[in-house]
Amino acid sequence: MTRAMQRRSGRTLKGGVLALMAGVAMLWIAGANHQVEASASSPSLQTLIDQAAVGDRLTIPEGTYEGPLVITKPLALIADQTGEVLLKYTGEGQALRIEADGVAVDGLRIVDETVKNEPTILVTGDQVQLSHLTIITAADGIQLRGAQGGELRGNLVVWSSQAAAQAVRLAAKGNGIDLYDSHDNLITGNRIRDMHDGIYLENSDHNEVTDNDLADSRYGVHCMYTVGTRILGNRGEGNVTGAMVMNTREVEITGNTFAKQNENVNSQGLLLFDAHATLVRDNQLEGNRVGIYVEQSSDNQLEGNRMLDNFIGIQLISASGNTLTGNQWIGNMADAQARGSVDNTISGNYWDAHRGVDIDGDGYSDISYAVNPLFSGIVQRRPQLQLLFQSPGMLFLEDLYQADRQSWTTDASPLMRPLDMRETDPDRQSGWLVGVAGSVLLAGTGILYYLARRRGT
Amino acid sequence: MSHTLQIALREVRMGLRNPWAYSFMALFALFMLSLLLIQSQGYVQGYTGVTGTMLNLIVYLLPLMTLMLGSFSLTGEREDGNWELLSSYPVRTWSWIAGKYGGLAVVLLAIIATGFGLAGVAGWLTGGGFDLQTYGLLLVFAGSLALLFLAVSLVVGTLARNRWQALTMAVAIWFFAVIGWAPLLIAVLGLLPYLWVKPAVTALTLLNPAELTRLFVVVKLGAGSILGPEYYAWVRWIRQPAGTLGFAAVSALWIVLSAGASAWFWERRRSRG
Repeated sequence: MTRAMQRRSGRTLKGGVLALMAGVAMLWIAGANHQVEASASSPSLQTLIDQAAVGDRLTIPEGTYEGPLVITKPLALIADQTGEVLLKYTGEGQALRIEADGVAVDGLRIVDETVKNEPTILVTGDQVQLSHLTIITAADGIQLRGAQGGELRGNLVVWSSQAAAQAVRLAAKGNGIDLYDSHDNLITGNRIRDMHDGIYLENSDHNEVTDNDLADSRYGVHCMYTVGTRILGNRGEGNVTGAMVMNTREVEITGNTFAKQNENVNSQGLLLFDAHATLVRDNQLEGNRVGIYVEQSSDNQLEGNRMLDNFIGIQLISASGNTLTGNQWIGNMADAQARGSVDNTISGNYWDAHRGVDIDGDGYSDISYAVNPLFSGIVQRRPQLQLLFQSPGMLFLEDLYQADRQSWTTDASPLMRPLDMRETDPDRQSGWLVGVAGSVLLAGTGILYYLARRRGT
Repeated sequence: MSHTLQIALREVRMGLRNPWAYSFMALFALFMLSLLLIQSQGYVQGYTGVTGTMLNLIVYLLPLMTLMLGSFSLTGEREDGNWELLSSYPVRTWSWIAGKYGGLAVVLLAIIATGFGLAGVAGWLTGGGFDLQTYGLLLVFAGSLALLFLAVSLVVGTLARNRWQALTMAVAIWFFAVIGWAPLLIAVLGLLPYLWVKPAVTALTLLNPAELTRLFVVVKLGAGSILGPEYYAWVRWIRQPAGTLGFAAVSALWIVLSAGASAWFWERRRSRG
């Protein structure tokens, strides 16, 4: 009877009491078969998996288990309590390999801190669901290879804090989630920290990457040779680049926030390289070195994005045939740099550096806004002169230089007002500290003036 | 030492009674406040458009102001005959120059402190204002610019025969250091072989106090990455506390060399009557 209960498939066992019973049942089996230790400290989970029937739902009681695990038939492996089931692995292979279709794994904590080439989890089956896993790795976190239609939901992947793992350079680290030849997967609500690429997709089409939180890695989301990827509502902070989209078609990038990608000399919020027919809409790019960088990309549509307080708002290099409308540039050091980018349709954006005139009162300026290509051209020939970025003399020179203006990247009818007022920065301090500092300065100089004028008499 | 202090105190007293000092103070304060007004919504933090505007306008105004105040103070001594009188006392030229520098530095820093103080209080009252670290860095920026250009102004005041000459030289130096710098660099470095460009830019930057200070503050504001891969090592170094010490050392060297040169010229002139 207990055996039947344990093997009951589906989600009928969900619930604390039943899960507990399943746990007790499993320990009982272990005792009866003399193959698995009764104590949770070192039972062989693999044996349980091997004994389970297709479609079984195994609930694992809390405790520490040794890897590796290999799953070759459809079943569900569910931690009794999320995060309380620890799978430890110290070998050179994968800590968990899923070869079968329709496998679900939920709530495990996987610690796999050996620096190695094999990933912590390798999935080759289709329709695999990995959810609420915590993965501490010194390799790739989750690899999907030829795995279709899976779902990765609410997992946490972080790089190991062990000395050997910390000694690894950023470029040699593993990716958080790594897809190759894997299509139609949903990757949602994951958190990834301190990895190489947060989510890496190569030759993998029509995947959906939504609501993930990607930080302190090289690239947050990285697409190579993908078609129809949808990148929606993700947050990236402190990566070298928030989203790197290269050699792609028909990617949609909507509602993401990429902030503070500014430490590296190649940092940007969002990069499009050889990307075509991309839709980039309603993203917020804040405090990055470059908000959006577009190179050799065409037929992309950029609309309703907000570039706030970046060093450079947008950079267009040899990019043609793109459409930019309804975007806003506010508080950037330089709104835009452009080189060799003609035939783009740019209109109706808000540039806070632009002083427009609106005679007919339609809300759009009658004076166009053109991006001066002088500095861009100079540093292309002499990158060392990047030192002069926004220096007073350079700005002066740019004002003088007006040659060949019709070939500049130009917004024909910029917006007169921003579309929405910017919200107040949540981590902004109240100004009282500066108020006090200012008062101290004023009081100090006041006393000085008084003394100097009095003592001279 | 006591001579230096006496001279410095006299300089402070004179400086703070000088209508020039007050007109500059009014100008600087007005200009800090107008920057806040332009940016009534915003909040000054990190390396953004607002901070950049502020940096650039300070670079425009302060060096010129400093060069004029400093050099006029020296030529004034000669034109008014004070120096002739002072020469008959047993005051060493060194002490005198050091005293002048110290006194003028106090006056200039007071002007800057007034401007920043007003802007800080006004920003706080209007609910916009500054992030504390950015405020501090801008203050350091203005202070360093003033101290460095004050040292240059001593040389100008020494070489110029009267106020008019001093004015001409001050404007010329200001123009080259602030506005003409970029065109000059671009023109000269365009002629150099590629490999020489970076060492040349680095060396020339050390020679221009305005650029030196601006770049130091840009890096400290966390925007070193905008300077590009060529300066990666420099930027990393400047971001550390050692970078601050390095900047302080280079500035001190600048000040000592300029003030030393100026003292040497005065001494030569004094001994030759």
